[in-house]
Order: sequence, then C-alpha cells, then structure tokens
Amino acid sequence: MDPVLEVHGITVRFGGNVAVDGVSARVEPGRVTGLIGPNGAGKTTLFNVVTGLLTPSAGRVVLGGRDVTRQPPFKRARGGLARTFQRLELFTSLSVRDNIRVAGEIRNRWARPRIDAVAEADRVIELLGLGALADRGVSEIPTGMARRVELGRSLMTQPKVLLLDEPASGQDEQETDEFAELLVRLAANGTAVFLVEHDVHLVMATCAYIYVLDFGVLIAEGAPDDIRSNQAVLDAYLGESLT
Amino acid sequence: MSNFLFYTVSGVALGAVYAIAASGLVVTYTTTGIFNFAHGAIGMFCAVTYWQLRVDWGVPTWLAIIIVVGAVAPALGIFLEIAIMRGLEGTSEITKLVIPVAVLLALNGLATWIWFDDPTQVKSVDPFFGSLSTVSLFGQHLLWHNVIGVFVAIAVAITLRIVLYRTQLGVTMRAVVDDRSLVRLNGGRPDRAAMAGWAIGAMAAAIAGILISPLISLQVLALTLLVVDAYAAAIFGRLRSLPLTFAGAIVLGLLKSYWDWFSAGGTKWPFLQNFRNAVPAVLLFVVLLALPQDRLRGAVVSRTRESFHVPTVRQAVAWGVALIAGIAMLQAIVAGPDIITLEHGMALGVMGLSLVLLTGYAGEVNLALFSFAGIATIAAWQFDVGPGGNALTTSLSVPGLAIATLICALVGGLVALPALRLRGLYLGLATFAFAIFVLNEVLLQSDQLTFHQLGLKFHLDLFTGGTLTVPRPNWFGVDFHASERSYLMLLCVVFVLLGIGLIALRRSAYGRALAAMKDSPAACATLGLNVTRLKLSVFMLSAAMAGLGGVLYSAQLRTVSGANDYDVFLSLGLFMLVVIGGVGYVSGAFLAGVFGGISFAVLGSLFDKLAHDYASFEPLFHFGGKFSTLLGSALAGIFLGRNPTGVAQQIMDGFRPLARARTAVGIWIAAEVALWVLSWQGPLSHWWFAIITFVSVFVVPRIIMMRYPDRFAAELGRPAPSDDDVPLELVGLARPFTEADRELFDAALSIAASTEPV
Repeated sequence: MDPVLEVHGITVRFGGNVAVDGVSARVEPGRVTGLIGPNGAGKTTLFNVVTGLLTPSAGRVVLGGRDVTRQPPFKRARGGLARTFQRLELFTSLSVRDNIRVAGEIRNRWARPRIDAVAEADRVIELLGLGALADRGVSEIPTGMARRVELGRSLMTQPKVLLLDEPASGQDEQETDEFAELLVRLAANGTAVFLVEHDVHLVMATCAYIYVLDFGVLIAEGAPDDIRSNQAVLDAYLGESLT
Repeated sequence: MSNFLFYTVSGVALGAVYAIAASGLVVTYTTTGIFNFAHGAIGMFCAVTYWQLRVDWGVPTWLAIIIVVGAVAPALGIFLEIAIMRGLEGTSEITKLVIPVAVLLALNGLATWIWFDDPTQVKSVDPFFGSLSTVSLFGQHLLWHNVIGVFVAIAVAITLRIVLYRTQLGVTMRAVVDDRSLVRLNGGRPDRAAMAGWAIGAMAAAIAGILISPLISLQVLALTLLVVDAYAAAIFGRLRSLPLTFAGAIVLGLLKSYWDWFSAGGTKWPFLQNFRNAVPAVLLFVVLLALPQDRLRGAVVSRTRESFHVPTVRQAVAWGVALIAGIAMLQAIVAGPDIITLEHGMALGVMGLSLVLLTGYAGEVNLALFSFAGIATIAAWQFDVGPGGNALTTSLSVPGLAIATLICALVGGLVALPALRLRGLYLGLATFAFAIFVLNEVLLQSDQLTFHQLGLKFHLDLFTGGTLTVPRPNWFGVDFHASERSYLMLLCVVFVLLGIGLIALRRSAYGRALAAMKDSPAACATLGLNVTRLKLSVFMLSAAMAGLGGVLYSAQLRTVSGANDYDVFLSLGLFMLVVIGGVGYVSGAFLAGVFGGISFAVLGSLFDKLAHDYASFEPLFHFGGKFSTLLGSALAGIFLGRNPTGVAQQIMDGFRPLARARTAVGIWIAAEVALWVLSWQGPLSHWWFAIITFVSVFVVPRIIMMRYPDRFAAELGRPAPSDDDVPLELVGLARPFTEADRELFDAALSIAASTEPV
C-alpha cells in the first residue's frame, strides 16, 4: 500500500551534536508502525520534525504524497497529521471534556463538514474510558489517563496519520492491554499509526512493522519477528529481553 | 565630509552608552530569565544619586562615581535579586514581566518623592571636565565626556568578556543560561550567579545613566526610557549575544546622530520634530520583522499554577446587576468631587477589561493601553468634533466611537504582527516601543499637522496646543455632559455589558481556543490551529476594547493632555494593577480600577486632609500621603503581583464559605442597606458609611464564622497546609521529616517500629 507519511534522510543537528542522522521511514495506512530505541535515540526529535515543531538540518517529510518539509505545524495537521506528546502538552486550564472538545472546535475552524464537537467529544470520552474523569481538571488526573486525553484530543481532528509518543507509559498492565486493542482497532479503520513506545510487549503486540533507532541512526527495520532476533537491536538494548 | 565624520563619531559615542546599558540588560536576562523592565529606572536612580553626591553635596567626581557604580548600584541590584526577583523562578511569564514593572514604578515614585517633588526645579549634571573641555578630531570639537564614554564602553566589553569566560563565577553564569537546575545538581550556585547578574546589570545601568545624564536632561521619564534604547539594541543579539548587542547599540547611536544631522536645520515635516526619541522604537520593529520564527512554545511547567474559575453567563449577569445596583446606591450618597474619583476608577476598569481578554484569557501582553486610548480619542474627536468644532456643544456619537474602536483594532494588528511569531516577551517589548512611538509622534504633537509639502490641503489636529476637549455622549435622552452621576452609571453599565460579553466569549469555542493556545501553543498547532492568526485576532479585539474604554476614559476627564493623560507609565501601571486584581477575571479589571483610580487617590487625599487638620502631625501625614500616591500601587505590585490568580479570587475564596450561613449573610446585607439609608437621608456621612463597610468586609465574615463554629470548623481551625501534598520522594527536602513519615515508611517497608529517635 502507498505510504501516507514518508521521511527521507532526516538529519537534525543541535550544535555539533547529531540527534537524528539520515533517517528514512514510511508509515502506511491500516497498520501500526513502531519506532523504538533506547532513551536519547532521537525518537521524539524525529516526531518533532514530522509535525513541524523542529526544522531538520537535512531531509524531507512527505505527507500524503506532498512535500511538507517547509510547512508550519498547523498546515501539516490540516493535512491529516496528529500527535500526542511524551512530555504532556495538555490544556491545563480546561477540563478533560473541554480538552477534547476544543480539539473538535479547532478542527471545525479548518475542516468541512463541521462535526458536532460536543457529541463527538462524548463519543471519544466513552471510547477511551474517560467518562468518570470527564469533568475533572486535567492536572488532577493520573498520567496514564492524561495520555489518553491527549490521544482523544488528537482523534478529534480525524487524522490520517496518528503519531503517538509513549502513550502507554503511566498505564498499568490491564490498561495497556486495552490500549493495544484500541490501537489495532484504530489501524483497522484505516488510520496510519506511528508509535514510539518503551513497552516492548505493546510494540510487539500491535506493530506490523518496526524501525529501531540508536544514537540517531536507524539500526534496523522489519517485521516484529525480524527485529526480535536482530543482533544490532539486541546489542543496542544491552541484551534486554525483547520478548 | 567633516559633518559626516562629526556625526559618525557622535553617534558612536552615543551608541557606546547604549551598548553599556544594553549589555547590562542582556547579562541580567540571560542569567536570571527575567527581562528587567526596571533597567532604565535603576540607571535613572543611580544617575540622580550621582547628581546628589557630585552636584548637591560637592563630592569629587571620581569619588561620586566609585560610590555610585561600585557600591550603590551593585547593592541595589543584589537587594532586588534577594528581596524580590529570587522568588520569581518558576512563575509565569506574566508574573516575570509584572514584578520588574512594579519595581520600575516604585523606583520612579521614590525618585520623584526624594528629588523631583518640585517640578520647577531643574537638575543638571555637567559633562566630565565641563562642557568646554573638548578634543579636536577631524577638525571638529568633541566633548571629552563622549570620548571617555567610548573608552568606558570598550572597557566594559573587555571586562564582561573576561568575567564571563575567565572566572569561575562567569562560567556558572553562562551555565545558568543553559540549565539552571542542572547547575544546581552539579554543585554550582545559581543564586550567586543570579546575584552577580543583577549586580552587573545594575552597575552597567548606573554607568550608562551617569554617562547619558549630561547629554539628556536629568529627568525621571527620559532616563527611565533608556531601557527602550537598551532593549532595541539588545534585540539585535536576540537578548543573548553581547557582541551583536554592542553592534546594535552602535547602529542605534549612529541612526540617532544622523537624524540629528538630517534635522539640524529643522525638518520640513513638523510631525517629525520628536522623531529622534522614536528612533529606537522604529528600529525595534524593523529588527523584529527580521528575526526568524521562534520555536512554538510547549506547555510551561510552572511552579505556580494559574487556574481561573470561569463563571457561567448567568452568574455574570447576576453579578453585573448587583454591581450596577451597588454603584447606583453608592453614587446616591457620595458628594460631587468623589463621584469624579469613582468615575475615574470605573473608566480604568473598562480599559482594564481589554487586558482580561488579552492577558487573562490568551496569555499575551499589551503595554500600550493608554496609547490606544489616545489614538481612539483623537479618532473619535476628529469624527464628532473636528478642527474648529466645539466639543462642549457636540456629543460623542455611536459611529464616532465605532470608528475609533475600529482604528484601534487595525493599529493593534499592525503593532502586533511583527512580534506574533515570537515569544510573548517580544510582544510586550513591541507594544512598549509602540507606546514610546505614539508618545512622540502623536501625543506630543502640539502643532497642527499640515501636508502642504505633498500638495495636500489636508491637515490634522492631534493634540494641537497640547490638549483636547473630549465630547461626552448624549444617548437615550440622557445628557452625560451635564451630570457626572449619570456618566458614572453609563461607565458602570458599559463595564457590566463588556464583562458579560467577555465571559460569554470565554465560554465559547473561541474562548476555549484562546485558553488552549495560552496553555500550549505547540499542541494547538498540531491540532491545525493557526496560532499566529488567533493571536492577531485576539490582540486586535483587545486593542479595540482598549480604544473603546479609552474614549470613555478621555470623555470622563473632559479635557485631556496628550503628554500627561496617556503616559507610558499609566499603561504599565494599569497592566500591573489588572494582574494584581486577577487578570483572568472581569472582577480583576474592576479591582484594578478601584486600586488605580480610587483607593490610592482616596488615601492620598485622606492623608492630605489629616495633615491639614492636625498640623502638629503634618510631616507624618504628609509622608503617608506621598507614600500612598507615589509608592502605594508599585509596592502592591511587588508584593501582590506574584499571586498568579490575583486578589479577586482570594476575595471570592474568602467569602465562598459564607454560603453556609445564608441567614447571617442576609442580616449583614440588611444592616448594610440600613446604613446606606441613614447615609442617604443625611444622618451618616458617606465617609463613615465607606469606613464601616470597608471594616465590616474584614470583620463580619469572621464574626459569622465564630457564631456558627460547627459549620465553619475548617475555616476556624485553620489546619496547617496538608503534608499529603508533598510527594513521598520529596519528604525531607520540601519539608522536614516527621515522626508520622517514619511510621508510614516503616509500615510500607514492613519494618517493625523502632524506638530509637530518627
């Protein structure tokens, strides 16, 4: 299938430090694509480049067949890109419900037909199991739930590509399992999901294809079974079990 | 050619002074993250201290310099850091802006009190070695003073380079720029670096103040506004790079000097007569246009969480009706002159509402409210009165007000546009620069502007003759010219309508988008929101509101002076007061009006009255009067400005528990009404009514709570802030380790309780 998101030779330098070095990847609709690697490997940096929060030193970002490397973040979002943040970026002065609702209202500023932001927010709250917390302030709820609020917020824009940055951290095992099901369902509905995650179990359970970054360099890519047995990956994870 | 050389050298000399001032600003900003708005005020204060020593007390020049630069300035800087600025780490960007503004106003108030009480007395300082001591260069005579300035600037540059790159302290200072908490973890002392940053900043301000005061007049305004020249230069280096800052300062000095050359024979264009003082503002805008886009800010992890409770529209309407009723009752018992004080406060409140929208809801800054007020006033005046018209016989019309408002929105858009791509601070700086520009090019424009040179017969009155008489409206069959009481009620109704409108706006999709943008512009952008456009729209809307309020404010004053009634410091002061009041609340703007227009004025006149009545205590009451009028609001800003949610919320929180004793509250209100009737019918003076009401606000809630101890157990017992708030891993750091903690840990770790002391 044609990829909906591609990055070609992305390089990011911070001063003399190369955070991402010539990384290329493709994200296809209808499946979950994983991006893993140890801390500091450059995963979030790559996400920031894809969403336009960071300008790469070199390389191209192609969204839906169009080169968006020079586009500001909001235009890429309008092109069907949505994300969550590893370091939470919630709207702290709004309730859980309003965090999700405002995303729909912002979408209504640029997309037609308009959606009923209130009804859609209720649906997403239900979908993510946030009903009990809906009227709480977002700073009062546990991190795991806050990550779901970010996911709900990004779903409100009805994205083609969904970038999730460690969405399961802070969730317990049962919550993570529910979450894995949800991701698979999202992908089955045609969304291209690009997942950064430390929970290897979640990655292996959901991803159809996995990219592995280490020190900014792509050291492996392939199906979960290939990655599990890849020597370079095992070395990068210092022999941590990848099963 | 020789002229060119002369003005070039003069420009470099002037630029040298700006370079010194700007480098101090940059050092303080980079080591502490606080943009020192009071930088110019510190320079002013030190320059006047220097005048005191050298001119008034006859201390030798060299000794005066050593005392001021070597002792007074660093002491002032360190004092500010320890007493005030240290507490600002981790607070919001708005707080970090408000506190230096409050310090600026306090230093100005203090200097005015000590040195400039008598406006007729002109103070001046001679240049070094006198004004006749010159050196010949390219056949031109240059003041030794200027030559010394250049060498001092070079010395400052070399010293800063050595201090920052060759000393342990300097390395810490530069590390603090990158990551303050990391420095602390590595055993560095960021607080020492911050103290050094403030001391060096203040010393640089002092040197610049001393060098520049012989060149410009020794006045509070002129010297305080040195900060504008300094930050125009510092923007060249994006408030970070010292070499670029020096370059920017020289460019600024040259521009000003060449302007002097160009306009030496008087300009053909009368409206350019004050342009020299507007040069830094213009330069700033040009540089802002050229700066690259900032990275979008993510959510700020703030120690102090601002959370504003948004009332429902129904609640807002109820409060609005109550406010109108309250003001109507108050005006019925208040004597004539005090009505005008109330009106003034109410007008400031209306203007303050524009900041509730901009700063409270959207997190952006406008430090030029009164400039918009001035522009709107001129527009409304041109429309309704016009040159040759009589403001006393004409009325302010709705179309006039609408056009004034619209013009402010457009001008606001133009002002904000260059800075919107950048961080919030830059918008603050841009608006302040705009205020300086408007002051020089509009408000001080006392000649009629003609455009004959362009073949146009058109001419424009701005503040021709220095003042304008502003018409008042004649709406709904009420002539607001005739009655101050009715104008007060008009202002009150406008305030309530705008306030309800704001709350409805905040509860709309637009308002939620503003809140979202304030919390995390980065997240908004990834949802497809064009953050720049939203910022622009809210800035324009808020500028329009400032204009609307501004016309009503001018009409309240009836006759306005371009130089005094739209002062840049008024804008700073109102901004500060709204933040004190509670910038996220409509009631915050109301409180700002009460503070700014009423309370300190009333206190001041009360002290004056006391001083008059009790002559033997005259010095004491005189002191009290000066203190409250010159320093009151600034000190309130320093002490209250850091409360992120403002006084309004504190008051509401204080009263909220009283809902549990409705009967008692009803009795209290009935008693108040009875007092009001007494005052209305004559037996009780309105002063007594005000004093009793004021005291009862503090005393009665306490009495009610003590009357029903079972209902207010929590309020009366006042339990210490719960220790449960401290996360376990911070126990022992955030608060001392207690016996209860030990038991908790013992239980969690299944350790048998030991009997030994910890």
